[in-house]
Amino acid sequence: MVTDSISRRDFMRTTAAASAGLLLASGTPLLGQAAAGPKLKIALVGFGAQGRVLLESLLVIEGIQLVAVVDIWDYARTYAEKYLKKLNVEVRTYENYEALLAGEKDLQAVVVACPDFWHAPVTNACLKAGLHVYCEKMMSNTIEGARSMVQTMRTTGKLLQIGHQRRSNPRYLFALTRLLREAKLCGRLTAAQAQWNRAVSADFGWPRKEAIPAETLAKYGFTDMHQFRNWRWFKGLGGGPLSDLGAHQIDIFNWWLGGYPRSVVASGGVDYYKTHEWYDNAMVIYEYPFAEGVTRAFYQVQTTTSAGGGYFEYFMGDEASIKMSEDPKLSAVYREARAPSWDALISRNYLAAQPAPAVAAPDDGAKVDVRETAQLAAYNIPVSFNKKPHQPHLENFFNAVRGKGTLNCPADEAFRSEYVIHKANESIASGKRIDIAPGENEA
Amino acid sequence: MIHIHNHHAMATIFQVRLAGEEATYAAQAARALFDEADRLEGWLSRFKASSDISAIARLQPGETLRLNEATCECLALAREMELATEGTFSITAAARQTQPEPPQWTLDPGQRLIRCEAGRLEFDLGAIGKGFALDRMALELADWECPAFLLVAGGSSILAGEPPAGIPGWSVGLGEDNSEPRQWLKKGSLSGSGVAVKGHHILDPRTGEPAKLRDRAWAMSPSAAVSDALSTAFMVLTEPEINRIMRGRNEWQAFLNDDGKWRQLDPGGQLAFGGLAPETMSGERASGNLP
Repeated sequence: MVTDSISRRDFMRTTAAASAGLLLASGTPLLGQAAAGPKLKIALVGFGAQGRVLLESLLVIEGIQLVAVVDIWDYARTYAEKYLKKLNVEVRTYENYEALLAGEKDLQAVVVACPDFWHAPVTNACLKAGLHVYCEKMMSNTIEGARSMVQTMRTTGKLLQIGHQRRSNPRYLFALTRLLREAKLCGRLTAAQAQWNRAVSADFGWPRKEAIPAETLAKYGFTDMHQFRNWRWFKGLGGGPLSDLGAHQIDIFNWWLGGYPRSVVASGGVDYYKTHEWYDNAMVIYEYPFAEGVTRAFYQVQTTTSAGGGYFEYFMGDEASIKMSEDPKLSAVYREARAPSWDALISRNYLAAQPAPAVAAPDDGAKVDVRETAQLAAYNIPVSFNKKPHQPHLENFFNAVRGKGTLNCPADEAFRSEYVIHKANESIASGKRIDIAPGENEA
Repeated sequence: MIHIHNHHAMATIFQVRLAGEEATYAAQAARALFDEADRLEGWLSRFKASSDISAIARLQPGETLRLNEATCECLALAREMELATEGTFSITAAARQTQPEPPQWTLDPGQRLIRCEAGRLEFDLGAIGKGFALDRMALELADWECPAFLLVAGGSSILAGEPPAGIPGWSVGLGEDNSEPRQWLKKGSLSGSGVAVKGHHILDPRTGEPAKLRDRAWAMSPSAAVSDALSTAFMVLTEPEINRIMRGRNEWQAFLNDDGKWRQLDPGGQLAFGGLAPETMSGERASGNLP
């Protein structure tokens, strides 16, 4: 039985999982079963670390043809050409998006993975040129930039998907729609917690022979090569770790809790690195007002250890807790002793259980048997998929471009979520609690 | 000045040593190399659910998966080494413990497609993946123009470039820390396998039984992936078998320890690739080409 809280779209996305128990999407259609019809011609704008990650998904998605790669760094363009040639993929390369739009007249979509402060100009230009756009999160390093992207999406009528890829992850979709909403597994959600901590690392460098000329760097808004290679740490270019890492997970707070916070209070600072502008440590608390009471969500991103428990989003209720992560091995479901029986959920393949050894209960409540300590049952989410982490979200985008389905994270939805992330950075800067009025996060 | 940087990857410690470079440049180059190791781990680790190797393990017979370029190349090399070692190196050796028959697979490198033909493709790249990573890290390092380097994966595989100024090679010991005698190594790779850390964990893929011929074996090759795979095979192969597979492979060398100290096998006396040379020797005996 699907409850009213699940949209038809969500239901359709997860029905296959529920009926099969295990959702095993093959990474590649069997030979001879490639997507029918002409291929979508696409370009990749930005070939840094994230661009390379997205490329690996683009290379295995059927029905698309990557025809161009854009990057201001000659070193990146050369790498792309060589790498793709090795894979028998011929692409043209361009230094910037203006050259791309001038040179490629039969593009249908672009995937944008350049530095955050270029997202809005590139995305707006591509949308206005009649292209559909998949843009990495954060939408922009400024609220104004992000808002302009939503407005351009609306005025052009083109699709704009934002790269919060967990929104298309079959495990996340299944856990949200089947466990959290339909089965109400957690009972009342009283708190949420998420983190993504990182070990100390050297700043990105560059091979000395590959430095970009100063005038080229200036043309694209960078003061020097260090800033170009480490733009995520500089104000005016990126949004810092709360934006780079927290954006994914704070978005999950909003998505899974089904609402937006009324306030945020955060603390952080440039505590560790001497060459950065953005906070390297941050702790954030959001307050979500719901009819049954307040739910608080805590988020942290720290410059600390790589052994700090990994990256996850943890939703804690009075009957169960669900710990989610892109890494299935970090995911788990924990049952409270007061929760009703989950046997029916297990039999319907909503949960995978490693059952506890049966402890015989005497008929007479006055009797008790004493033996070895009974173990608790362990539960897991019975969904896996044979795809790269970003692949389902990109596929959702390309399917929507073909008119098959709707976007899982359109720009207006992403804006609502990202707005409250900007407010966390604002709280740190001001040292004050920031109130967020209902509707304030609408584009 | 030799700059040393360490990093956790592939369930061990990777180390980058760069000589003759400015400290910040060396640190940034090391980071680029460690990023490459992390990237490869993301594709090749059987412990990461999103890796190609985990995805391959989920294939049913008849199913096909398109692979990342690095995964495809590593699997192609693994198959090549399986053939070259007469089946004594195999990435499905451990699968023999859970499956009655070795799983069967075909690889189409041109399309980067792997197809599961039979069984479960439970690949374990533990005896080639770290060496493969060192080879790829050296390729990345070429862009950084740092000729004097030593790359170390878990202490069991090393890949050397040019030596630090003033010495003929990187000082290498076969065995415990600071073991004697020392050897000079440059422009080549050395890998070791043995029973000291994990006991008799190396399985003979031909029988599924633990290899107990010797305590340690080392292999040299221009490629770290190759030396990594060979050192495992040398734990399994008899001495005549090693001599047979090395015949005509002048770029490979074998060192065995089966009586308390190591000795070098000399299959036909053709040691054209002399990457290892005793420290007492002078001049440049070491040669060879990096992959």
